[in-house]
Amino acid sequence: MVRDPLSLLDSLVVSVSGFFIVFLMLAVLWGIILVVSRVVGGLERRPAPVGPKPVQPSAAAPRPVAAPAAPQVVLEGIDETQAACVMAIVSHETGIPLDQLVFKSIKAV
Amino acid sequence: MQFSFIEALQELLAGSGFAALVDDPRNLIMILISFVLLYLGIGKKFEPLLLVPIAFGMLLANFPITGLLNEPTATASPGMLWVFYQGVEHAIYPSIIFLGIGAMTDFGPLIARPSSLLLGAAAQLGIFAAFLLALALGFPGAVAAAIGIIGGADGPTAILVASRLARDYLPAIAIAAYSYMALIPMIQPPLMRLLTTKAEREIKMEQLRPVSKTEKIVFPIAVATVVILLIPDTAPLIGMLMLGNLLRECGVTERLSDTAQNALCNIVTIFLGLSVGCKAVADKFLTFETIKIIALGLLAFIFSTMGGLIFGKIMCKLTGGKVNPLIGSAGVSAVPMAARVSQVEGQKANPANFLLMHAMGPNVAGVIGSAVAAGFMLKVFGA
Repeated sequence: MVRDPLSLLDSLVVSVSGFFIVFLMLAVLWGIILVVSRVVGGLERRPAPVGPKPVQPSAAAPRPVAAPAAPQVVLEGIDETQAACVMAIVSHETGIPLDQLVFKSIKAV
Repeated sequence: MQFSFIEALQELLAGSGFAALVDDPRNLIMILISFVLLYLGIGKKFEPLLLVPIAFGMLLANFPITGLLNEPTATASPGMLWVFYQGVEHAIYPSIIFLGIGAMTDFGPLIARPSSLLLGAAAQLGIFAAFLLALALGFPGAVAAAIGIIGGADGPTAILVASRLARDYLPAIAIAAYSYMALIPMIQPPLMRLLTTKAEREIKMEQLRPVSKTEKIVFPIAVATVVILLIPDTAPLIGMLMLGNLLRECGVTERLSDTAQNALCNIVTIFLGLSVGCKAVADKFLTFETIKIIALGLLAFIFSTMGGLIFGKIMCKLTGGKVNPLIGSAGVSAVPMAARVSQVEGQKANPANFLLMHAMGPNVAGVIGSAVAAGFMLKVFGA
């Protein structure tokens, strides 16, 4: 499209417009990612339709308190106090809150 | 007929490569340069996976009268290195390397914080700055564009653009790109400290949100569709990058993903390196232009790093101090080395700082950004 020799003005126009197009393209991708994330997030939040409806507990029956299911951590060669220390250190070092970390096993080496 | 041992020996020597080396000592200089590059690759570990095949290709190509680079004729077969070079000539090797890069790359941090894309764009500043400088130094527009792409810090992209726009300068451009990529841990930190305050470097960034599998699957399909439709010249790079990433994320093609990021990528790296090296012959390489390209490549890296850092500072201000500007320098696409440099510098300022995942966003955005810049240059200066 462009032929030599390029004038100073042509060079600047090519350079600035190229930089602008890179910005524009990546800004468009930003928008696309936001839209995709919204749509996917919305779809994944929607409850999946299941076959038969679960039987409703009777109103009189006491509702069980939902306790968070703590995953079972297999401890090998260490006690619970040491395991708690390891978990706290990993959380601190990685910056990931403990409630978002899943430990499967902790083994003394 | 009388056989003379001495005459036979003289004929053998006269027809040997040693005699030809004496005839044109420039080949000898190129062979010495290939030894230096081999030392840098093996001894100093500067991007050895590519620098070693490049240097050996250069060594082979500069042995005289081997016919390794001969083009095919009606009566003679082509030389081996000529055949290998067709993969560069037709943009096959860089595209396959991009397939491997896509299969190795986790775009999760970018999807989690898509504003990182702008840092990846800002860090392409070096491409356009080096392009202007190359023009000022007297290079034609197409060659200046290929030199500028060094600033993208992306070897395969630099090779692709150089093979299309500046074939004679391909070895110098490729060697500059890969050498400076290896030197990123030395080039970037002084600029990072120069352009940011200690308080900025100490900023701890919020944890990234988790990204769902569906988002990761849709991402490569959406990016390929939009980018290639808007800039068709990016198709070889973006198409293969996103295919590689889809193989990684879709969950049903583990074997293909594994092949793309390991065996296939390694095989093609050998051919790519040899092909680039074999173009480094004396009459094309031993010129003042090569020195200018090496210098411009360094400036391109410096400008790209500065572009990312300055935009990082702008984002830091706009977000009220939530973005550490150090992640901006990772917008140059050298993955993951540039992100590691951000992590190291961040931790020097604040030992509790973990910037690696935050820097991976701009880092992979830089890969897309440099491919877009390459597509633009090919569109503007391509035949």
